Amino acid sequence: MNAIGRVVATELKPATPHQFHFWTAIETSIGIGAIVKVGGSGTGEEGRVVYGVVTEGFAYSDLATPLHDVVGAEGDPARAAEAPTTRQQIRYWTAAVLRQTPEEPLQPVPLGQVFVADDADVAQALRMDTFLYSATPTAIPVGLYTSGGRDAPVYLDADFLLGPEAAHLNISGVSGLATKTSAVEFLLASIFAHFPGHKGRIAAVCFNVKGPDLCFLDQPGDLSDEDRRRYERLGVPAEPFRNVRLFAPLKADGVNLNTLRTHPDLVGDVEPLTWGLQEVVDFAEVLLNRDDIDAKADAFIDFLRDRVLGRTFDDGFGGTHRVQTFADLDGFFRSVFDGLEIMAGGRSDTWRTHHIATMRKVRNRLLNISTRCKGLVTDDGASSDLPWKEFEDRTVYVIDIANVDPLGQDLVFARVVSKLREQLERRELGVDAVVVFVDELNKYAPGDGPDTYVKKMLLDISERGRYLGLVLFGAEQFRSQVHRRVVGNAGTQLFGRMDMDELATPGYQVLTPATKSKLATLPIGELMVRHPHFTQPIFIRFPKPPVLRGRDGVERFPPAADVPFDDAVVRQLVRLDRRVRPNQVKDLIADREQEDVRRALAAARQKRPDDAFAYFRKVLGARVESEPHLEREHHAVPPLNPISDEPY
Amino acid sequence: MSWWKSLVEAGAVPGSGSKGEEPEAAERAELVEDGELRAHAIPEQPRVPAAVAFLNGFERWGVRAYDGVIPLVEAYVAAAVRRREGRGGLLALGVRQRRFAVAALAGMTPKLRQLLEQSAGDIEPVDAEFVGQPARYLEQVETIVRRARAHLERELAEATIASLGAEDWLVLDGLLSRSPAVARHPRALGVIKSHGAQFLEGRGLERALTLPVRHRTSVFAVRGGHTRTETYSWYLRLWPWEGNDLLYGLLRIEARAHPDSIARASELSSWLWSERAPLATPATRWDRLLYPLHQVEEYLNALAPRDVVPRSSRLPRLAS
Repeated sequence: MNAIGRVVATELKPATPHQFHFWTAIETSIGIGAIVKVGGSGTGEEGRVVYGVVTEGFAYSDLATPLHDVVGAEGDPARAAEAPTTRQQIRYWTAAVLRQTPEEPLQPVPLGQVFVADDADVAQALRMDTFLYSATPTAIPVGLYTSGGRDAPVYLDADFLLGPEAAHLNISGVSGLATKTSAVEFLLASIFAHFPGHKGRIAAVCFNVKGPDLCFLDQPGDLSDEDRRRYERLGVPAEPFRNVRLFAPLKADGVNLNTLRTHPDLVGDVEPLTWGLQEVVDFAEVLLNRDDIDAKADAFIDFLRDRVLGRTFDDGFGGTHRVQTFADLDGFFRSVFDGLEIMAGGRSDTWRTHHIATMRKVRNRLLNISTRCKGLVTDDGASSDLPWKEFEDRTVYVIDIANVDPLGQDLVFARVVSKLREQLERRELGVDAVVVFVDELNKYAPGDGPDTYVKKMLLDISERGRYLGLVLFGAEQFRSQVHRRVVGNAGTQLFGRMDMDELATPGYQVLTPATKSKLATLPIGELMVRHPHFTQPIFIRFPKPPVLRGRDGVERFPPAADVPFDDAVVRQLVRLDRRVRPNQVKDLIADREQEDVRRALAAARQKRPDDAFAYFRKVLGARVESEPHLEREHHAVPPLNPISDEPY
Repeated sequence: MSWWKSLVEAGAVPGSGSKGEEPEAAERAELVEDGELRAHAIPEQPRVPAAVAFLNGFERWGVRAYDGVIPLVEAYVAAAVRRREGRGGLLALGVRQRRFAVAALAGMTPKLRQLLEQSAGDIEPVDAEFVGQPARYLEQVETIVRRARAHLERELAEATIASLGAEDWLVLDGLLSRSPAVARHPRALGVIKSHGAQFLEGRGLERALTLPVRHRTSVFAVRGGHTRTETYSWYLRLWPWEGNDLLYGLLRIEARAHPDSIARASELSSWLWSERAPLATPATRWDRLLYPLHQVEEYLNALAPRDVVPRSSRLPRLAS
């Protein structure tokens, strides 16, 4: 291997144990981010080898002052280029030390020759040898380090990406360059391909919060030959995810799906996500804004949860209630308010120690959600949920809440993450680790603003999730504006192209001006990586994800218009049982109330019977409510510890 | 108003400067172009040869010890030739270096002389007559070192022209006439920055010293070097002297003594004029130093062993 440079040190710019300087030929293949090796091949000081990453570059000539160039060209810039001799110039680089071998005693970098790093050198430099070549390898390819026409795979340590040593990943970058989502899609594919067997089973839950971004993860995208070569180099199959389950709430009509994946060829794979009162009330705190938070409301919600919901309850005014749905809840409140008005003659403003104003506030908030999130929250108690306790290995669960009211998004996020946490804690989820991908952390976990339930939940995952196997992959545009404990707890950090204003914030002060400049101009598909094993940020290139991008998906599979009520019912029943004959269903529901049909459909979705049509016909014949076989086991998810300490 | 401003207003040319170069003896030149020495404007568009080799030399010496009152001197001389090709960069073609001692051996104590002869190897002797006269002794040392450097330059120049390509040129810093072989080469030029030797007189000298920028003088024949080889020469002004001194930006060019040199004097001057940029700063004589020759000098400076650099501080050394 030929040397490409030589370390030089002066009194003003000496070589230190952490930094060194070297010069190269004017025309050289290295640049900012290149990994180099000093010594080795008999050129080092008694075998000492130092690996470094180039962090700054300088070029200068023997020109004493710019004025001399002006004088030489007689003030005409065009003439400056006519000079027959070019000035003596230098390419001078600064590199930060990545690793020294031997590591002790730690000494200044020897003034030796500089070489371009090859695959083995990159593995050594980034300390990947410890987890790449161990008896139980934990290496997850994240991309290719490329420099001067060479490339070398870069691996993350699963123990530090997915726990238990460290965990979580944060990715930031400007919007619109298809980097953040693409990087996470590729990394998930890589994790599924390389997650070590001894660490158990893993799944991913992705919240699709904008457009069709994550709606086509099971569809193949267009890959170039270069992308395929990169996949091969990284040992990741260039194919879409094999196991994807997509969940989307229904629209307000209760039968059409509220997603952009409604093309007739694909909509059959989308599962409805609908929750009833029972699912919602556990997270009533999510629905209460900061002004609502008080001990009285909290106490009344607890009262409802413990004494009223799912139980036979006597309101004291002669009414007996069994509240299982929002409709039941509404009836219960009406009965209590009427009782107070009629029986007490309007003189009493408390009921069971709860003030009527507190009860009205809680009632409004709870019933409001069924209006604002109609389709996600059903009024009749039937729910269609994620397959709790039956999560499958290497499966992506996409929850499309892009078109859901922000309050509903918070509710979905809070409930899903809480259930994941609860079931992982009990080791009953079906997998040992779950990656939760949340985009738009600027919105959900901002550095300033009120402490929302969702933000607290993200903090909880960030700080304690790694012990449970609950791993947060978060993305945002402005890292500096995300809560610092959320980004600070991310063991691995990826940076796409950054805005210069963002780079001027204090969080990036450790980067050299050249590195910042490179970050500000990073092309699509390139990232800067920080990982616990890497002592310096490393630039990598990752292949285009093997899945159909959201925008392309919508073009290839244009969303279908909402279908008529009866067609939508048919479609959902066919999804449950392919033997269902559309005309039979249409005849059956032709003269029925839509509300009854929706109830029957929800019951069928929940029961998932062998003969869907027969079951549907059976339950359609009667009022579907309070049937013992529909009653679900209810595990109230304990609130987060930090939240339980709150006074409200 | 100062008296000199009145004179400038009355027609005197403003200038500056102080003591110039030491005068040197020189034979009167014989004009070989024009009836009297004239100023010729040089062409606007220079024709720069595709490949040019530039040769320069380097010297450094300093007193290292004393044997009684005899200074024992360590000297280093070097010469290098670097070739410029299409893209304007210079690459070294050849380097010669010599490191030696200079001492009046005859006057030294036997023990120290023996030790010097055993350890130094390469020694240039100084005549014993200079012992006891430090100033003259060191002048003699300087002459010896300069002669050694000139010898290296001559050797290297001769080696270079022997391998010069059919279209290649050699430009060397100093007299072309040091080597008859080089002086007769059709594509070798000497560039002289020092003007201690005056070859002209009277009206011709005045015209040469007040030569306008971008002009050359008529060609004249001179003899130089210990071989007294004849060369053709002319002056060339790179930068306007007005406001400076008469020698500012003034070069004397030497080419082979051949009618072709007269015919091509303007064309060659135009080329050399274009070599004034980039400026050879921070060299003090940048107005007369062509940048490629400066670069060769810097190259030699970089190659020179650091331990022959004279001490810069004259403070007494502390006992360790």
